Amino acid sequence: MSRAGSARALRRRAAWSALLLAAAGVAGLAGMSRTAGAAGAPPLPAEHLEVAKLPPWSPHWAYLYDNSFANETDSRLYLYDGDAHRMLGQYEIGYYPAMAISPDHKTTAVATTYWSRGGHGTRTDVIEYEDNATLTVRGELVLPPKRAQTTAITNFGLSYSSDQRFLYLANLSPAASLSIIDVARNAIVGDIDTDGCVLVMPSGKRRVSALCENGRLLTITHDDAGAETARSVSQPFFSVDRDPIFVQSAPTPTGVVHVSFLGDVYAIDLSGAEPRFAPPWPTVTPQERGHWRPGGQQVVAYHARSGRLYLPMHRGGEGSHKDGATEIWVFDANTHKRLARWPVNAAKYGGVIAVLATQDERPLLFAATERSALFVIDAMSGRLQHVEARLGQTLWSMMNP
Amino acid sequence: MQQRLDRWIERSSRGLAARTSRRGFLGSFGQALTGVALLPLLPVDRSSRAEAAEPAATAAGPAGQAAKPAAKASTGDPNSCDYWKYCAIDGYLCACCGGSSSSCPPGTQPSPITWIGTCHNPVDGRDYIVSYNDCCGKASCGACQCVRNEGEKPMYRLSLNNDVNWCMANENPNYHCSVSVLLGVAEK
Repeated sequence: MSRAGSARALRRRAAWSALLLAAAGVAGLAGMSRTAGAAGAPPLPAEHLEVAKLPPWSPHWAYLYDNSFANETDSRLYLYDGDAHRMLGQYEIGYYPAMAISPDHKTTAVATTYWSRGGHGTRTDVIEYEDNATLTVRGELVLPPKRAQTTAITNFGLSYSSDQRFLYLANLSPAASLSIIDVARNAIVGDIDTDGCVLVMPSGKRRVSALCENGRLLTITHDDAGAETARSVSQPFFSVDRDPIFVQSAPTPTGVVHVSFLGDVYAIDLSGAEPRFAPPWPTVTPQERGHWRPGGQQVVAYHARSGRLYLPMHRGGEGSHKDGATEIWVFDANTHKRLARWPVNAAKYGGVIAVLATQDERPLLFAATERSALFVIDAMSGRLQHVEARLGQTLWSMMNP
Repeated sequence: MQQRLDRWIERSSRGLAARTSRRGFLGSFGQALTGVALLPLLPVDRSSRAEAAEPAATAAGPAGQAAKPAAKASTGDPNSCDYWKYCAIDGYLCACCGGSSSSCPPGTQPSPITWIGTCHNPVDGRDYIVSYNDCCGKASCGACQCVRNEGEKPMYRLSLNNDVNWCMANENPNYHCSVSVLLGVAEK
């Protein structure tokens, strides 16, 4: 189209727009005059379309991960307000993503996969840097196509070093490795073979650990250039064959806490040069062992100030480790005492498959179910504060933003 | 030559599968990689298929709703999550998506790598080694979601894990659905 033709087209569009607006205005005024006249109240003021701004951060916010299992190329991360009981916004996060929130809480890094034609065409693996203040993408780093893709979402598919200088990315092609990304340079600076060990559990500024198939923990130390400087392998600290630990864990002030299929708690202190393993302790009595089990997708939550652990528990046998919970059990992680059993309405909403505690003085416990319902619970008393009967499609994991 | 090679690989792999238990089967990651690389080359022996005598397909479950196995294992319906061969499937049943319990739907590609299970056939009383391949290259099928995890382990025991995307090594790693391919009888 010529420039003159283009200008004519624009004028035509402008004329049509004005006409439509005028028509809508007349119709609107006519409608209002009827109702206003009846009620004797002044008409409603005109509205202006605008984009909402996020309110200031609250400790009672949660990121809710929706795998979108019926259409996984369209996974989402919802930002939810546990006090106002409403969704505040959404990130679109592609296919089998791994997510990490920066230590300063300003950024959510999302490692994910897209195709140029919906579910086919050219594949692009990428880390997208989401701005947590505006919920927009503000940068990216294209990756080689080998990052680990799994439905088991942990805090450690992607993670930040404590000083936020590096990102660690778990790869599985199916050869296992980890990539070290210099955040300021926005470049991959290291690519380290992990000998079949998976996940990237950071500790300190330059150290990262991975879980191995023989029940050991591999720990790798690197330098500022991203090169490996040391590696160590722990003794086995659990039995993969008799009672494996879930890969999904909860962060603690000094490391992480895992639970096993049979309900034993494994706390790992990652604050020193070498990992330290606390003796495992049971959450079930000898009579309950093997009959009551933790299960689901996010199988442990931890509230650091009170030392409380929350586990979604169900009655089940071998192979039931992804079943939804009919009760949430509460423990004191210091005394190992069971403090409470909170039944949930699994018949109505589906069993609980994910739990997350907020980290403030009056914590909330979020519990997501296999039917994508969300419970908001007072994490101290167990009082159910709110139920979202259906939020998204498949809520499988949650994070503290 | 290719046929002779395939026959040799079939005999070797079935022999390996028959001689090993679930826990011992492809225990290390290195062995797993070697083993699974052979699986897609296996010609399928259709005469040994249990589903050859099975009734026609039944209704598929709604998308997004997990099907739970019934207390009594189904012996005959490959469109049902209860079907005995599906004892460690976590995904969509290809039988509901245009394929069958052991074939991928048209236009998809089978994954060359896979996870392994041992399932008990209530009809003949035998345990079978099963290869759970994913079918890849299209977005989630969305029909007949099935979640069963007998003998399933977390992703650090990769060869027994059904959470990772086994389409990971495909040219297009988009997960569509899962099949359950018999490899042979597991000797106790």
